[in-house]
Amino acid sequence: MEFGFTPEEQAFREEVRRFVAEHPPERYPLDGMDAGYGSGAHSRAFLAELGARGWIAMTWPHAFGGAERPMFFKLVLFEELAAAGAPFGPLAGSWQTADAIIEYGTERLRREVLPAVARGEATFWQGYSEPGAGSDLLSLTTEAKRDGDTWIIRGHKIWSSHAGIATHGLVFTRTSREARRSRGFSMLVVPNGTPGMQIRPIRSLTGEVYHYEVFLDDVRVPADTMLGPEGEGFQALLNGLDSDRFWGRYYKAPALERVLRQLVDHANTTIVNGAPLARDPVVRRRLAGMATEIAALRVLFHRAACLLRDGAPISYETAVAKVMADELGQKLGRLGMDLLGPWGPLREGSRGARLDGRISHDYLTSLGHTIAGGTAEVLRTTIAVRGLGLPADKRA
Amino acid sequence: MDFALSPSQQLLVATARDFLRKHCSPETAQRLALDERGFDDALWRRMAELGWPGLLVPGDLGGSDGSLLDVVLLVEEMGRAGLPGPFVTSAVVATALLLAAGGAEQQRRLLPALATGERIATLALVEAGGSFEPHAVTLGCEVPGRLTGTKLFVKDAHVATDLIVAVRDGDLLWLPVDRSGIVRLPLDTLSGEKLFEVTFDAVDVGAEDRLSRNEDALGAALAAGALARTAEMVGAAQRVLDLAVEHAKTRVQGGRPIGGYQAIQHACADLVRDVDTSRGLLYLAAWKVSEGQPAAGDVATAKAYAGEACLTVARRGHQIFGAIGYCEEHPLHLLHKRIQAASVDFGDAGQHLETVARSIGLR
Repeated sequence: MEFGFTPEEQAFREEVRRFVAEHPPERYPLDGMDAGYGSGAHSRAFLAELGARGWIAMTWPHAFGGAERPMFFKLVLFEELAAAGAPFGPLAGSWQTADAIIEYGTERLRREVLPAVARGEATFWQGYSEPGAGSDLLSLTTEAKRDGDTWIIRGHKIWSSHAGIATHGLVFTRTSREARRSRGFSMLVVPNGTPGMQIRPIRSLTGEVYHYEVFLDDVRVPADTMLGPEGEGFQALLNGLDSDRFWGRYYKAPALERVLRQLVDHANTTIVNGAPLARDPVVRRRLAGMATEIAALRVLFHRAACLLRDGAPISYETAVAKVMADELGQKLGRLGMDLLGPWGPLREGSRGARLDGRISHDYLTSLGHTIAGGTAEVLRTTIAVRGLGLPADKRA
Repeated sequence: MDFALSPSQQLLVATARDFLRKHCSPETAQRLALDERGFDDALWRRMAELGWPGLLVPGDLGGSDGSLLDVVLLVEEMGRAGLPGPFVTSAVVATALLLAAGGAEQQRRLLPALATGERIATLALVEAGGSFEPHAVTLGCEVPGRLTGTKLFVKDAHVATDLIVAVRDGDLLWLPVDRSGIVRLPLDTLSGEKLFEVTFDAVDVGAEDRLSRNEDALGAALAAGALARTAEMVGAAQRVLDLAVEHAKTRVQGGRPIGGYQAIQHACADLVRDVDTSRGLLYLAAWKVSEGQPAAGDVATAKAYAGEACLTVARRGHQIFGAIGYCEEHPLHLLHKRIQAASVDFGDAGQHLETVARSIGLR
């Protein structure tokens, strides 16, 4: 057993810390909302800065412009950026898409998309959910029909994060009717701005825009923008889910730790009834209890990281980590609001807002986390059925 | 970073699991819990033959130079089996104390006998206030002089050969249990663990009975005890999870196994989280201690978190099992009671969360 990071990983951590100190994240203009996952807001300028350092492509093969650094460098980068509150919102999604393109993408995708990802320019929206297809993804109705060397897509996608400011959509669509319900799906990489694509913002409960709905009205794309084998898209999606869940939540523990540090400062410096809030035994206990849970979350992700690195089989490990990350974030949001009392509901930027009004923002955004990327209920069923071998519900 | 056990650790765990399956079945554990003495001399001798009591003892004193991480892995298996007895108090806590605070002569005289299991030592720390914190000790004793007072919750004092008595100002006294004036009064516990109130009535204490004064020694031994008890909880909680999943697969109601119902599935999913996280924090803390890194916050985190999480596993386990879990012949209740007892031993959540509170910078 070994719970430390290697000297190389530590040296990289120092490098990232120096970068963050020299490039304070708050200086970068923001393009899209911080949805509270821990990866901050969407900032093209900040992503470009990471790209310029070669960090986005650092784990890729040399042949695709990478440096073939070990996967754990990505963990270190995420931890340090999240601890600093940096705006790297879409990075996990870019990495996941790039890895898929490297593994089974066409020449066109490799040539046209990968260099733009590496520079921090290309980001992706996921066109999975539809108005009638949420947890039951297979009931989606978007279809693509083959016409010579092109696919013509027709359908309606919704809850696509940052779709209006990303460069490409990953559109999950039916390409054929098969006897088995899970066959006949494919993934197409569709550049934003392709004729026939209409993107409408959805204002969220924070008042900002994070999600979009996308109408695809005979959108025509070249056949070699298909990512993965035709008709096997659902299997590919399932295969990628374990690592998607992992990378989409890895930064949660360091981000929650950052919020906890802010709440500890707040408790130390806020005088209530003549004594610091930190002296209130209930407050002490709740903050300390939260610290133990964040430590538990971190260790869960570190274990999952080792499994992913070693290519070990994963049945439930990333699902359990995602559920815990999302529920713990909600719990911390609740705790923060309790500690702030009447200041809690003040918005970011309001006169008198404490901790920059971030707690109220986290409180709201965390509500979506147990729904996005697989609801906590669906994932608990996954843990029970795939992880523990309990019988699957035949209706599912 | 690597969560895998070393080959020798794998061997230790496999041997322990196999041995305990054979020699400490649920029926044996239950029989020992109900038995007044509750100590199986033959089982203790067999464990000694495997070298377990000497795991922490240096090789030149008859032990096997193991680390606290090794101990934690072994005790996790003991927790899984519901093994009762003085292993933690003697082979972990007393041994750690003797290693940290014993003089060279005391170590040469006592450690080899602890390693072979011939001597069993137990710690007498807690007083009427119920605290496991060293600074809460009020019992005083001039050395040389006479010791008069009471200690509570002394584990397995009836089979121990020696008591380590914590007295005021950081002194530790090593006293044979048969010294005149020492009386051991059994407490009746839920878990079947044998706990005693020990009274000292003008007991003679000489300079040779005192361990060297070492402020950190008691703290380190209590940390080892806290982690060993955490390991016990993790092992027992894992066993509850395994049993619950097995039950959910085989118990049929409404025409299908109850594990096919989401209410049961989701409960089981939460048990997995609680067990995996508790184990992760346990290994992390034990690894840090074994590496000589500062670990007070990690130990407190593991003990506080696992105490809550593992007890939750046991309690939800009862709901999954339904009526059968209410029966004495079923293994669940004993595992539950052991987890509950371990959660308050060597510091409850309140004590450890206060350590965590300070470690995260709360003033």
